[in-house]
Amino acid sequence: MTSLKRSTALDPSTNLSSKVYVRSTRSGKVQKIVRELYLRQDIPCSSRLCSQCLKIAPTDYSNKVAAFVLSETPAGTKAFPNGHYLVPDTNAFLTGMDLFEVETAFHDVIVLQTVLEEVKNRSLPLYHRLISLTKNEDKRFFVFFNEFRLETHVGRDRGESINDRNDKAVRRAVQWYGEHLQEAMRARKSARCPTVVMISDDKENLRKAKVEKIPALTLTDYVSGLENAEQLLDMVSAGKEQREVKSGKVELIYPEYYSMSKMITGVKAGTMHQGTFNVSPYNYLEGSVHVPAFDKPLIILGRENSNRAVSGDIAVVEILPKDQWKAPSTTIIEEETLNKNDNADEDDGETVISERERRALQEEVKRVHGQSTEGRPQPTARVVGIIKRNWRQYVGHIDKDSIRSTSKASRSQQTVFLIPMDKKIPKIRIRTRQAGELVGKRVLVTIDAWDRDSRYPVGHFVRSLGELESKGAETEALLLEYDVQYRPFPKTVLDCLPDEGHDWKVPANLDDPGWRGRKDLRDLLICSIDPPGCVDIDDALHATALPNGNYHVGVHIADVSHFVKPNNAMDKEASMRGTTVYLVDKRIDMLPMLLGTDLCSIKPYVERYAFSVLWEITPDADIVSAEFTKSVIRSREAFSYEQAQLRIDDKSHQDDLTKGMRTLLMLSKKLKQKRMDAGALNLASPEVKVQTESETSDPVDIQTKKQLDTNSLVEEFMLLANISVAGKNFEAFPQTALLRRHASPPKTNFEELANQLKVKRGMELRTDSSKALADSLDTCVDPREPFFNTLVRILATRCMTAAEYFCSGTQAYPEFRHYGLASEIYTHFTSPIRRYADLEAHRQLAAAIEYEQLDPSLHSKPKLEAVCKNINVRHRNAQFAGRASVEYYVGQALKGRVVEEEGFVMKLFSNGFVVFAPRFGIDSTIKLRDLATPEPEADFDMENYVLATSGSRQVRVELFQKVRVRISDEAEESTGKRKVRFELV
Amino acid sequence: MAPVQAQVLLSPAELSYLHSSLSLNPPIRPDGRSPTQFRPLVAESDILPGANGSARVCFADGTEAIVGVKAEVEKSQWRPTPQKESADVEMDDEQEEEPGVGENSWVEMSIEIPGFRDDDPLPVFLSAMLTEALLASGDLKDRLYINRRFHWKLYVDILLISPPLAYPLPLLSLTTHLALLSARLPALKSERDEDPLFDDDWEASTPIYPRSGRQKPYSAYLDKPPVTLLVMAVGQNIIFDPSKEELAVAEAVMAISCAASQSQTAEAVRLLSIRTIDPPSRLTPPGIPNLLNSATGGVAPVSSTDAMAQREAMSLLGVWTPPRGGIKRNLVGRVLKMVVEKGGVAEEVLEALEKIEVES
Repeated sequence: MTSLKRSTALDPSTNLSSKVYVRSTRSGKVQKIVRELYLRQDIPCSSRLCSQCLKIAPTDYSNKVAAFVLSETPAGTKAFPNGHYLVPDTNAFLTGMDLFEVETAFHDVIVLQTVLEEVKNRSLPLYHRLISLTKNEDKRFFVFFNEFRLETHVGRDRGESINDRNDKAVRRAVQWYGEHLQEAMRARKSARCPTVVMISDDKENLRKAKVEKIPALTLTDYVSGLENAEQLLDMVSAGKEQREVKSGKVELIYPEYYSMSKMITGVKAGTMHQGTFNVSPYNYLEGSVHVPAFDKPLIILGRENSNRAVSGDIAVVEILPKDQWKAPSTTIIEEETLNKNDNADEDDGETVISERERRALQEEVKRVHGQSTEGRPQPTARVVGIIKRNWRQYVGHIDKDSIRSTSKASRSQQTVFLIPMDKKIPKIRIRTRQAGELVGKRVLVTIDAWDRDSRYPVGHFVRSLGELESKGAETEALLLEYDVQYRPFPKTVLDCLPDEGHDWKVPANLDDPGWRGRKDLRDLLICSIDPPGCVDIDDALHATALPNGNYHVGVHIADVSHFVKPNNAMDKEASMRGTTVYLVDKRIDMLPMLLGTDLCSIKPYVERYAFSVLWEITPDADIVSAEFTKSVIRSREAFSYEQAQLRIDDKSHQDDLTKGMRTLLMLSKKLKQKRMDAGALNLASPEVKVQTESETSDPVDIQTKKQLDTNSLVEEFMLLANISVAGKNFEAFPQTALLRRHASPPKTNFEELANQLKVKRGMELRTDSSKALADSLDTCVDPREPFFNTLVRILATRCMTAAEYFCSGTQAYPEFRHYGLASEIYTHFTSPIRRYADLEAHRQLAAAIEYEQLDPSLHSKPKLEAVCKNINVRHRNAQFAGRASVEYYVGQALKGRVVEEEGFVMKLFSNGFVVFAPRFGIDSTIKLRDLATPEPEADFDMENYVLATSGSRQVRVELFQKVRVRISDEAEESTGKRKVRFELV
Repeated sequence: MAPVQAQVLLSPAELSYLHSSLSLNPPIRPDGRSPTQFRPLVAESDILPGANGSARVCFADGTEAIVGVKAEVEKSQWRPTPQKESADVEMDDEQEEEPGVGENSWVEMSIEIPGFRDDDPLPVFLSAMLTEALLASGDLKDRLYINRRFHWKLYVDILLISPPLAYPLPLLSLTTHLALLSARLPALKSERDEDPLFDDDWEASTPIYPRSGRQKPYSAYLDKPPVTLLVMAVGQNIIFDPSKEELAVAEAVMAISCAASQSQTAEAVRLLSIRTIDPPSRLTPPGIPNLLNSATGGVAPVSSTDAMAQREAMSLLGVWTPPRGGIKRNLVGRVLKMVVEKGGVAEEVLEALEKIEVES
């Protein structure tokens, strides 16, 4: 018998190679995939020093070679006086992405395809950051497709691991680059040849590089040679090696995660549950996970059960046995009070639950056991694994107590705790050489890992935002916390603006293409009513009497879709930003200033493009007909709410414009009545306005916002326009209309409030429909206390679900309902300058009235769903950011002042209670231990909502009780925020 | 048993000549081989990158076959077991994992022979015989067990490229053997009864027939797929790997499947199955003795039955008479001994096949 052996070794001259791997499909199929690689030699090195590659580089459709990226005079360092190009390996990017993003260093970087693919597999967010780096022209990052180039392609040897092969590929590419550049330099007859340096932390890789005479450095060594090294070194992720040092002696304090396949099987089989992990704002040891299988969220108690999950992570949980079930916490537990004396450096004897935490939990359990009705035990669960980490960058400040030496001179590296601003995030352990400088600053950090042997997650420093409580730092901090994109618009976006800039005008010639399909409404007496100082005017109104006794009413909305065309850079940016964010002293625009405050804004006395909704309305506010059209309008006046109110009330004004406004007001009242009759809710949220000094924008006073009739005038017509447009869009695009819905809240949400009202006031809260709720809310009146009703409304609002944007094809028609407005269908149409949803609605309406073709992206359900998802998140974050900004300014306004105000008890805990002060629209917790020292004994009657203290101070606090509180300010230790502090008087 | 289809165009005189030379001691084979010698062949394995395992074998007579082995993950049918009452996914960690038991339906074989429909007797018979040996050889099907809910389904696709000149059984068997030797399954990463999750590195995949890692002279494999050998007998002579012409005068033909024995002590080879095959020689035209040929002065018989009866009585040397009757017991015994004994034919074949490089 003879056998034939075909040579398996690759012929070095062949340009064909292949790649074999296993692919598992979603349906559970497992396939062996073979990809053929055709190696080529026309992939340029992209160095401006090289003239050879310029000749072979492929050209694009216009016969141009893509500009070469790498500089001819790369920066030199002590070690590489002739300049250098960097070739980092995968781990360098994974651990040092923040470093690579630094403006001052890390230029001329070659990103190998091998590395890029590996980064993509390991971490998608980092991959996206790397991609955006390669697009940044100033950073000069070049992606070199080394796997496709014949000279740099390496095969995999028998028995070689993938990592080793990839390391080999990196070394091969570095070597090739080095030789290639030297050749290029010889051709130029130049002596100053830049070095190509590999950055790797892998010892074996470095050793082999040394053998092969390839210049290589560890990331740390490289950074040490740069200016500003200390700061840069802090930005390296806490590497594995660093963390492994202690692994020998330390016991593992957290249970191990289940394997991914075990979790997937468990979730599929229903024995485990998947959901987003949330931490209670009052008790950092209590988390909850809402899972699809149950109405109420599962509770997760204690550090061990939450098993390294950080608020926002998508976790898999397993339900605990019934004897471990328990009622949700009634105690306020804050991290800083329990774990004040943790030592960041010391790991010995670290346990998951500190003794004091354990005691706090025990007390909890005891209390629960004594209870019957209200505190019925609820299912608890424990985290068994994480599907997806949603770690972001966190803003916080350094815990002073965790620093060993605060002298600025000391450059020794030490481990300190960072206390995040967000109370739901645990302390983060970071290693820094600049501890002395960072004290008292707002610091941005990221979490790198949370190992089983570490009680707290480990992270690294990204950058310092500035002094605590300085306006700049605090504003940036809250923008970062709420993920608001606040950088200036990039050039590509600004390029989409009209060339005329501020000189743009509505074309005078009616034959201009801009006039096509537009109605000339310049004769109408239109005016706008907005808050004072408003510059981005979205909407304007008019009303005239018709000969038949009805009224012709119009709402005119800025025609933003005329300026922002789908899918250009500006549209993409706007879609990403989702909404304009209003802070007390700042506005972060969704669209560039030129459009928002000038070209689109319906400024008075000038002609503007608009999208008009025109109705014929009877004097009883019944709609006879509605019409939608693009138009050209000229606003006669821009009023503030107050001005408008004054003008309407002033009988001496009898001009047509004022008459029109009076008509609008009359109609709006009737419209409102109709809405209320249909069951619309009149909800309340505490809104205050911070008055600031115009120059410094330092807060001087706080007022609760006043509601005038004119506010409601504008609101009613905007609602009407939105509802009309929603109907029209849905009719035209039943599958893909972008709508807004407000789901009726599940009954369980109101259970607690209803019970509280029943016990304390004998009132009944009916929640079967929004009408019933609206009516029963009207009955919740305390004749002695006019604010009581508002308080109940505020509490009721907190029980609601959030309204959301959605794509009509994803829900059944009955689900479209807007609960709060009691409208069958609703969308946002009236503020396209500041909301992206409105812009999309404009485009859909324009297509619905056959003004223009609908962009395909608005036809596609998945794309619209993605848009909805994003704008829902952005919208919510913008609200949070706005509120946080108000909160900050309220704190600043009260700085150094002590005020006595009245407040209402909103929530009781066994060791404290929450008081709401209507004057400032803020609520704050008063803990029993702040009442007197020693902490008074407390008796918490959960069923009757009474907390009575005895001992050092005798107080009896009931729910909804009116109390007087002394409000002062205090820099909150835990978050570094200046916050108001309430004291019971 | 299905007859061999390929008709050999040999005259009775030629058949008779062949028969008598094969009956000599030692026999003289037309191609000069010794009785146990196999025809030279060209073989290579792992030739199809997309398959889990593959091989190609080409015999010197021009017959050539390709075999591809593909594995797919399949959901196992749940069967009630006495202890367990529910079909729930058990996540019990205490429970001992017992080695899974495979099922026959997890191996599927299809044979394609040019000029035959897939329901013709030849391909059906061949695939039955090869599958039978494969399943009988022990734990192949058990190795396809992933967990209680999933298993691998193995598809063995056999393609005869050339027309079936000789009886293609040995060729197909050897090729299948090689393909299975080179077959690999992706490495399992999940545990127990979870939905299976596999390592995406093909290099990490595990061979279906695991290697022992031992050095020579022992086999590098712990277990090997079976081979099916074709043996024929002429007179007292036992001839291995008969060519097409030799088969035309065979008195008995047997297909013997055997596999390497797992225990190194006793015989090196385990016998899996024996099947007798209808020798094609039975369909050859008989020679006519001069006595019965009127052209040579004989008396031609009146009818064909008459002719047969007269020929039977004569048994003349040099005149071809198609063989009749079965195989003698002691012949079977001798054949088996030759195949199975230490240093016997089967061991030699298995060792030779192992030398064919298997890409790993």
